[in-house]
Amino acid sequence: MSQFQLLGVFGDESNLVGAIKAARERRLRIVEVYAPYAVHGLDRVLGLKRSRLSLVCLIAGALGAALKLWFEIWTAAIDWPVDVGGKPWNSLPAFVPITFEVMVLFAGLGTVGAFLLISRLRPGKQPKLIDPRITNDRFALLIEETDAAFDVGRVRALLERHGAVEVIERLAEEVPA
Amino acid sequence: MNHFDVTYHPSPTLTRSLLVLIGAGVLAWALGLVFAPERAWASLMLVSFWLVSMGLAGSLFVGLQYACGAGWAVAFRRVPEAMVAALPVGAAGLILVFLIHPDLYPWMAQHGESTGFQALWLQRSFFLLRAIVYFALWLGFSAYLVRNSRRQDEDGSLSHTRRNIGASLAYMFVFALTYWLASVDWIMSLEPEWTSTIFGIYNFSGMFVAGLAAIILLVLWLKRSAPLCDFVNDEHLHDLGKLLFAFSTFWMYIFFSQYMLIWYANMTEESVYYILRQQGVLGVLFIVNVVLNWGVPFLILLSSAAKRTPAVLASMAVLILIGRWLDLYLMILPPVTHGRAAFPWIETGMMLGAMGLFGVAFLAWFRRAPQTPVRDPMLAQSLGYHN
Repeated sequence: MSQFQLLGVFGDESNLVGAIKAARERRLRIVEVYAPYAVHGLDRVLGLKRSRLSLVCLIAGALGAALKLWFEIWTAAIDWPVDVGGKPWNSLPAFVPITFEVMVLFAGLGTVGAFLLISRLRPGKQPKLIDPRITNDRFALLIEETDAAFDVGRVRALLERHGAVEVIERLAEEVPA
Repeated sequence: MNHFDVTYHPSPTLTRSLLVLIGAGVLAWALGLVFAPERAWASLMLVSFWLVSMGLAGSLFVGLQYACGAGWAVAFRRVPEAMVAALPVGAAGLILVFLIHPDLYPWMAQHGESTGFQALWLQRSFFLLRAIVYFALWLGFSAYLVRNSRRQDEDGSLSHTRRNIGASLAYMFVFALTYWLASVDWIMSLEPEWTSTIFGIYNFSGMFVAGLAAIILLVLWLKRSAPLCDFVNDEHLHDLGKLLFAFSTFWMYIFFSQYMLIWYANMTEESVYYILRQQGVLGVLFIVNVVLNWGVPFLILLSSAAKRTPAVLASMAVLILIGRWLDLYLMILPPVTHGRAAFPWIETGMMLGAMGLFGVAFLAWFRRAPQTPVRDPMLAQSLGYHN
């Protein structure tokens, strides 16, 4: 069954935030919010859970540091010991810079990779824009019909009251993934 | 007229405790002069340098905000502004040391032993002249920044902000050069045979992270005891926490850069610095220094929730302030005591005294202006700030 949806288009981020707050108060189902840039405080207004991307970053960094440290100890002290300035083979201070660099590399690439994976952003992916202007100067809020009590007129009035410049009615099939 | 009731009255208990701290410091110094004069003078140099650094951290923080055009910190800018009051107090202490007990510096007594540029640079009159130039520049820039900010409270004119932006840009250059040279003059020359080109940055990293720790503690305290409760929120704390985390890590980075190069090259005239500081009790303190200034704060402040929790943030700030004192102790005292460890009752007592002086100077300046820059053009942005 195709769901009936309402798209409110806004010209200002504060109007968008106001509309989101009102929609959440009325327990409307918000499918998605579109904005041309990261709007401060949007996560909180939407009540989104904290992203776990920072955890990925921590684990990737720790993994990189551990692997590199092991590799340095293995090369410098086990597989091919070389005497450098009469220092012990396992000289930790000498390993620190490279360990640090590899930790940063793993953490950085791991985080970006995880982000692309979670967002399903693969090469050649076709952009499906709900409205081309959301990449430029418009903000959009997509609300979905949940049950028979859903009153299109009242939702439309709510969006307009909060400064929507346009309200578009649509069916769910058209919605981009 | 000011728009706010600006008269902030510190409670009598607070004033009394600060005076007790100062008393303890003076007592420790007096007893130190009798029983271990070298340590007492070195310790006076240490606490004076600490006070100067705290004052400079205040004006540097203010200057950085202007130079970057940053608005988030305006709400509590009066805190770093008032910290500048520690600058003249510390300067007086340092001048006292330079005039009355110059023998703290071995090169003062041994004329003709150093050669080349060092002989030219390390001369008593030139040394004093440089110190006066540093103080004049620091006091001049700091006073100018603070005065403009406070005049804006009265007329709300944008010209004060513009002037402060220009002055701050110049101050960044002046500060970088003078603080580097001052650390070399006053601390590194305690061991004139030893040199490190990164010493100035090393001291800057320590002074700035300690300054941030002090700003955090003062902001939290002033938020709780009313003056700043309407102006400072979790978002400000979060950003202060981020800065503390970043500069603590920066300190570690510079510490390691200095240590690793000397460790790797292992040249006698360089490694003597660390050999002196890695024997016996000092060797333990050497590790504790790294743990306090970076190890614990790094692990704890990694999470954003910790940066927004006043109790956690405050305890990390306290750790870093203790770490800064230990860091200065390890830079200044070992050459004076020749690595002999003694229970640091003089040093501890005088540090408490310096904290008391800092508190009195801070309150005296903080009370003289509205608790927030009421007519700063970016105050609204700062109050509504979120990450």
